[in-house]
Amino acid sequence: MNASILNVKHLSKVVPSAEGELTILEQIEFDLARGASLAIVGSSGSGKSTLLGLLAGLDLPSSGEIILAGHQLTRLDEDQRARVRAEHVGFVFQSFQLLDSLNALENVMLPLELEGRDDAGQRARELLERVGLGQRLTHYPRQLSGGEQQRVAIARAFAADPDVLFADEPTGNLDSHTGERISDLLFQLNQERGTTLVLVTHDARLAARCQRQIRLEGGQLVTEAVS
Amino acid sequence: MRNTSLSRLLPMALRQLGRDSRSGELRVLFFALLVAVAASTAIGYFGARLNGAMVLRASEFLGADLLLNGSSEATAEQISAGKQLSMQHARLVEFSSVIATDNGIQLSSVKAADSNYPLRGELKSAAKPFAPESPGGVPQPGEAWVEARLLTALDLEIGDSVEVGQKLLKLTRVLTYEPDRAGDFYSLTPRLLMSLEDLPATGVVQPGSRVKYSELWRGTAEQIATYRNLIKPGMAPSQQLLGAQDGNRQVSGALGRAERYLNLASLAAILLAGVAVALSASRFAQRRFDASALLRCLGLSRKEVMQLFSLQLAILGLLASCAGALTGWLAQMGLFQLLGDLLPQEIPSGGFAPMLAGIATGLVALTGFALPPLAALGRVPPLRVLQRDLLPLPASGWLVYGAALLSLGLIMWRLSLDLQLTLSLLAGGLVAALLLGGLLLLSLKGLRRLLAGASLPWRLGLGQLLRHPLNAAGQALAFGLILLCMALIALLRGELLDTWQEQLPADAPNYFAMNILPADKLAFAQQLEDLSAQPAPLYPMIQGRLIEINGQSVKQLVSKESTGERSIQRDLSLTWAADFPTDNRLIEGQWWTEKALKNQAPQVSVESRLAESLQIKLGDLLTFNIGGVERQAAVTSLREVDWDNLKPNFYMIFSPGSVSDLPTTYLTSFFLPPGNDRELVALARAFPAITLLQVDAILEQLRSILAQVTLAVQFVLLFVLAAGLSVLFAGLQSTLDERLRQGALLRTLGAERRLMIRTRWAEFGMLGAASGLLAAVGCEIISALLYTYAFDLTWQPHPWLLTLPLIGALVVGIAGVLGTRRSLNASPLTVLREA
Repeated sequence: MNASILNVKHLSKVVPSAEGELTILEQIEFDLARGASLAIVGSSGSGKSTLLGLLAGLDLPSSGEIILAGHQLTRLDEDQRARVRAEHVGFVFQSFQLLDSLNALENVMLPLELEGRDDAGQRARELLERVGLGQRLTHYPRQLSGGEQQRVAIARAFAADPDVLFADEPTGNLDSHTGERISDLLFQLNQERGTTLVLVTHDARLAARCQRQIRLEGGQLVTEAVS
Repeated sequence: MRNTSLSRLLPMALRQLGRDSRSGELRVLFFALLVAVAASTAIGYFGARLNGAMVLRASEFLGADLLLNGSSEATAEQISAGKQLSMQHARLVEFSSVIATDNGIQLSSVKAADSNYPLRGELKSAAKPFAPESPGGVPQPGEAWVEARLLTALDLEIGDSVEVGQKLLKLTRVLTYEPDRAGDFYSLTPRLLMSLEDLPATGVVQPGSRVKYSELWRGTAEQIATYRNLIKPGMAPSQQLLGAQDGNRQVSGALGRAERYLNLASLAAILLAGVAVALSASRFAQRRFDASALLRCLGLSRKEVMQLFSLQLAILGLLASCAGALTGWLAQMGLFQLLGDLLPQEIPSGGFAPMLAGIATGLVALTGFALPPLAALGRVPPLRVLQRDLLPLPASGWLVYGAALLSLGLIMWRLSLDLQLTLSLLAGGLVAALLLGGLLLLSLKGLRRLLAGASLPWRLGLGQLLRHPLNAAGQALAFGLILLCMALIALLRGELLDTWQEQLPADAPNYFAMNILPADKLAFAQQLEDLSAQPAPLYPMIQGRLIEINGQSVKQLVSKESTGERSIQRDLSLTWAADFPTDNRLIEGQWWTEKALKNQAPQVSVESRLAESLQIKLGDLLTFNIGGVERQAAVTSLREVDWDNLKPNFYMIFSPGSVSDLPTTYLTSFFLPPGNDRELVALARAFPAITLLQVDAILEQLRSILAQVTLAVQFVLLFVLAAGLSVLFAGLQSTLDERLRQGALLRTLGAERRLMIRTRWAEFGMLGAASGLLAAVGCEIISALLYTYAFDLTWQPHPWLLTLPLIGALVVGIAGVLGTRRSLNASPLTVLREA
């Protein structure tokens, strides 16, 4: 079995700006083993979120290659990349990003339905019970607290059994106590299901819980540490 | 306490407006207002200018803008008053005279015209009978132009000479068309047109002779109005003024309907404006909740916050309205350019009034419809800076929306000057909004239960609608209103045009035959039957004048300028009949039966409008002077007459036996297909005493006016459609932010384009179908009200309206998918950026 789930080579992202071209990421290279956890840290504007977007196939790099779960993302069009995400990727966002028009259960069912699975309802129910929201299935996002919304988002992220989970400041909008509980949940599920975890964070404690940390400065990978 | 004055708020408002000018909702609001004002301005201009053009065309029926008629010459003061106003002037003298040649004599209607005649429209003439006609010109001194039937009657040719009184005139052309002939074709005998300069030499016009003097005037509407007011007080009882609106019943009828139609269309545009403004103003307010809370935290009072945002909206509204008015003006210019061939050369400019009305409409709509969302801004709790989910308390909706409705009603009424139309539209809209909106809300909530089993696109699409059921109901109502306006206009357009066309069927009578002597009656009827498929019956006709009502002179009873006044100034065509005329409608009283007539005093049936004008009631005793003999008859019925049908119609119908002993001629009308002129000549020769009157020319004029009106109607429909679509897109724009986010999130989670498109179809198709259903129901209710109370038409259900839900689903579906396609292409990265 191939140990590498994510492989990044010579990755650069350049965008046009009023003052000419702006380099956001420059020659990033790393490799991530299946089941590992990686924290991307760095100051604001260092290119963390851009890197996360590229890794998940939400955007295309200016140059370089990304191989995610065996798929060369740079050679796929948007719909093909969407299919890769549906099959292999889960997301947790700082601002939760639940669909307001769907209730908790339906939000968790969404990725399963996109995959076309028949047991969507049952699985979503199990996951919501696992994250402690078994009694709030029919509640809409606006009826839930921030911590509860993030738990729904985590349940949704794990629903389709992703190979890789991308988390963007998952505790950024939560108080420290709730944040702690959410990160516990995240790592528990990560271990239970053998998911690879890639997270972007400012929180040094959260980063320290990952097996590896890479630090970005001015778009360049400056240090890499292993816990 | 610190007080921020308006003068300090203004620069702040301007700065913010400048900074926000690139934001989506301000653009949408600007665009919505611009489109709405442009549509209502263009329709306003189009209506005003087309109306002006149609009045001009109607002027052709008079040959002038204003006609001063009299049985005596106009006074020098009356002439100089007009000349001092720098109006153009022409003079006509008309009289009946016997034209004598070696071949016989023929009573003719002679018109002596000066070289300025006519002031509106042109004469048409041909070199010989049935030769191609050419426009322009007027007979020179020593010349006469005659109608072909006079040549036939007297066996004359062009080049021959005839005597009018003591003056010998040479026939130089065949007269084929007089613009002012349409007005009074019942009393016509073959026309001879000569120069006014030759009139004294004829010696025909002597004191006491029956002559009609006409002073023709042409000028601007202002000049005409001034002149009317100047000479009215000094007019002799025998004189009367005729303007374009009085010129011809058929034309003024068509003008009235066209005006109502255009008013209805501009009202629809105003309603659409309201919808667009309400949608975008609501978004404007929602996106400023944070700013409002912050400003309150920084110490601005509720009033100041309201003032600040009101100022921004006011500036924006003024700019958008001005730009809209300009766009509307350009659009109507373009349209008149396009219609150049069909419309008269001179179209009045329309002035600034429609532009100002358009701007005022935009501003009032902005005030009325932006007020409720704007009021919410004043109520944003300052605590929102800490708790973003705190929303302003809901307003006392009844008061705010009531005020909006009232201002809208007022502006509609001012523009349409038609309280009934405005009220039925407003009432229909309100009833529809309340009843249908409530129903819609209930069914949307009911749908929630059904959602569980639906497929993903349906659940996502309907979930979007159900997230804010009130908004969804509001949107369905708004789109429903647009569809309703369009359906109503399409429906009325079809209905009104059909009515107009029915009024002039292809086989409408194109000839009148008059002066048929009793001795010729049978033979003429026989010959006519061979020529024409369905000739009208031969009606007896006697000329007589109404002189007394219940023993009182009618001159003392009626007011000047009324229809009644005109009808007692001249002889009326009277008839008698045993059977009730098929095209008439009995309003009051009873028609006589043969049995009941025996041993009874003479009876008369009176046309209802004339009866109203002369205040004639059932049982009144009318006295007529018929050729010097006085006859009395009691009024036993009142009839409504369709004057538009171009068949012989009569104000007074006597019971058989009451006037039949008096000298009588007969009258009929018939249709003869074009190209049968030879047969017509043969008919004229066989019955030389009979006067044949061709009404083709009149029909042609009417058709041309109808063609213009039809075109206007279609154009206006197009404009309302464009306005409606813009409003639809404006509505979609206002939900774009949320859709962009949803689209990006779904993409992030791995949704394909196809799923997202199907989701959109489910959402907008459903919304459109609901709107269509609302529109169909609303349209039937309003059309029933309008038909009954405003247009006087018979209402019947319209099954085709059931296609509206389908049309709604398609139109709103396509517009929705197109209008939100940006959200389909939204980069999934947006989700990360937002975090």
